[in-house]
Amino acid sequence: MENTHSGTATLALPPILDLTAAAAVLENFLTRRGKPLSVNAAEVQRLGGQCLQVLLCARAAWAADEQELRLDSCSEEFLAALDLLGVPPKILTYCKEMPA
Amino acid sequence: MDPMAAIRETFFQECEEQLAALEAGLILMESGAAEAETVNAVFRAVHSIKGGAGIFALDALVRFAHVFETALDQVRSGTLATTQAVLNLLLRAADALADLVRAARENGTVDEARTAALVVEFTQISTHGHEQPPTPAPAPPAASPAWHISFTPAASLYAKANETALLLRELRRLGPIEATLDSSRLPELSELDPEGAYLTWNITLAADCTELAIRNVFEFVEDDCQLTITSATPPEPGLKPGDVITGDNGFSFEFFPPPVFDEEEAVPPPPVEPEHHEPPATPLARQNPVETMAAKAESAAAVSATIRVDLDRVDRMIDLVGELVINEAMLSQRVLEAGIARASGVAMALEELEHLTREIQDSVMAIRAQPVRSVFQRMPRLVREVAAQTGKQARLVTEGEGTEVDKTVIERIADPLTHMIRNAIDHGLESPEKRIAAGKPAEGLVRLTALHRSGRIVLEVSDDGAGINRARVKEKAIANGLIAPDAALTDDEIDNLIFLPGFSTASTVSDISGRGVGMDVVRQSVVALGGRISISSRPGQGSTFTLSLPLTLAVLDGMVISARGHTLIIPLGAIVETLKPKAADVFPLDGEINLIHLRGGYVPMVDIAASLGYCDELIEPNQSVALLVEGESGMRAVLLADAIHGQRQVVIKSLEANYRAIPGIAASTVMGDGSVALILDVDAVVKTTRSELNRSESSLLEAR
Repeated sequence: MENTHSGTATLALPPILDLTAAAAVLENFLTRRGKPLSVNAAEVQRLGGQCLQVLLCARAAWAADEQELRLDSCSEEFLAALDLLGVPPKILTYCKEMPA
Repeated sequence: MDPMAAIRETFFQECEEQLAALEAGLILMESGAAEAETVNAVFRAVHSIKGGAGIFALDALVRFAHVFETALDQVRSGTLATTQAVLNLLLRAADALADLVRAARENGTVDEARTAALVVEFTQISTHGHEQPPTPAPAPPAASPAWHISFTPAASLYAKANETALLLRELRRLGPIEATLDSSRLPELSELDPEGAYLTWNITLAADCTELAIRNVFEFVEDDCQLTITSATPPEPGLKPGDVITGDNGFSFEFFPPPVFDEEEAVPPPPVEPEHHEPPATPLARQNPVETMAAKAESAAAVSATIRVDLDRVDRMIDLVGELVINEAMLSQRVLEAGIARASGVAMALEELEHLTREIQDSVMAIRAQPVRSVFQRMPRLVREVAAQTGKQARLVTEGEGTEVDKTVIERIADPLTHMIRNAIDHGLESPEKRIAAGKPAEGLVRLTALHRSGRIVLEVSDDGAGINRARVKEKAIANGLIAPDAALTDDEIDNLIFLPGFSTASTVSDISGRGVGMDVVRQSVVALGGRISISSRPGQGSTFTLSLPLTLAVLDGMVISARGHTLIIPLGAIVETLKPKAADVFPLDGEINLIHLRGGYVPMVDIAASLGYCDELIEPNQSVALLVEGESGMRAVLLADAIHGQRQVVIKSLEANYRAIPGIAASTVMGDGSVALILDVDAVVKTTRSELNRSESSLLEAR
């Protein structure tokens, strides 16, 4: 799941992001904390409220740490679910205003 | 099992129940015996299936259930009259819904064209009987009706496998939605409980629907979330729960919060039209929620009276009770061996234990007993379909649905019954024209009856068709080489020829029956259940198939006998009487077989030990005890044994499962002394004798 190049960690989200996945996703975010992170949502088929919470929380955490959080290659299902849940994809990402 | 899969399985189990209720209700409506509650029950069934299907994102099912539900709602509110055409459509829709459920369960596919055609029919019928189209009616007064919904799921909502995204998707069916998220309550990442719930959705729904329609979306999660629904349409926003209206005459009325249950939809609180705010209109609206609550309380009570138990647990218990019976028998044996007097305290206590064991066994068996209703309920659909395929008119009348049988029996009688009913319609009933010509009503009658008779369940399938064409059956049997051309057969024997393998009188092979495997397969599966099947037929008046089965497949009342030192059990149900044969009554026939003269008739004698190959030498009849037994369809034989040891209840242990099938042996059991005894397959033994006898019998009759 993880491989590091150019200092940015990556995290590939599993296809089904429901109740049972939330804890694992949270754990994955926690272990990657403090570094820039690129989240890959290409495989996501289903997104539930609790995983959304994790994503939102993670974004807040990365913003607080002033680390970059990117969202790479989102699947259509992922974008549709975000739209349905009233979450514009960009509020899940964080860009540092000034390069450090 | 993965928890989701378990929940899904429960959903499908409930679907089965709902489908059964749906079908039962529709049939009541068809027969004209429906009450107001019947329609509600039918509606509820479809609605619950839709609700559950929504949770599992079974879209096809939800879509169809929605259309179905809409039509039922119209029926309920009286805007759609239940004409025969409408009922017919509803029944077919129920069948389609059952197919969709099954497809969803097995990940199979359904005939989409058929579903689509039904949907079209529904739209036609609803615009016909309905002045205004149902759901998406453009709202006359309000320009752009909209609802604000604030939805805060609790953690328990997710824990119960519900999902916000699915609810929102469901909501979107009502109209375009716009959701904004309030994430202000989210904690720091490190403090986040991944299975907690911190979000609130504020949703704007632009749809002209009732508040109830919205609440229905959240129906299954109402206890697990905070939900507020407010109308965004300017003042007079319909009536909110808690609103008090006071009329000119001082009559005041407080609106009740809309109940969770859906009955209320019959009289939805109209959101806009002002005339409904006049006092006279309100008592009607009020009465309904009260009834609803009563109904809800009632159904809640009904629900809590039963529990759902995994079948494995019950089976395990039955196994254990079986062991208990064996153990108890062993104990009595030991007591007997110890030479303790019959009147002693030990023997009496043992007797009590015996009673208790028997009672426990009966009670455990009662747990598995289920009414045959579940099987009977599938049959009306079958009759409709087969009748439609064959171009015949048929009506099914069922009796004794409440008759209880062991669950294993229930599961395994469905197929034979299906076959028999198909046969009754396809072969039994005549075409409407022929029926009218014969002076019968065009619609044929198929009767399905269940009853208890002397410790067995008897199922009868009868039709009022033409009866069996004996001449043709015999001709066919001769042509297929099943009987000799000159065989002299009674009418009954001819009728029973149709159970022979490879027999079919239908000149054309149809989809429905008549591949020549039908009745043979039926008979085999019935025999495998320890049952018998027979037919009686009267030309021009119809045929009756009678199926007799043991009530349970776990225990058996048997007669313990010994034959050349081997202990055997003969099922008590098969024994007609026991006797000591007198040498004078025995007549040898054809060397090997003896006949016994019994009450004016001759019955073949079978030496059990010899027939099972325990020995070659036949027992002297006057040295033996004889048991007159009756096999299926009333064939009799006298079994000869060395001694009868008495009657006892034995626990059936399958021989096939533990060893392999043996001809002449039905199963095995464990006796009180721990030894294994075999249970005789009386039918098989009788039949072998009969067939050996068949050739010589007629010559004997001629000789006398």
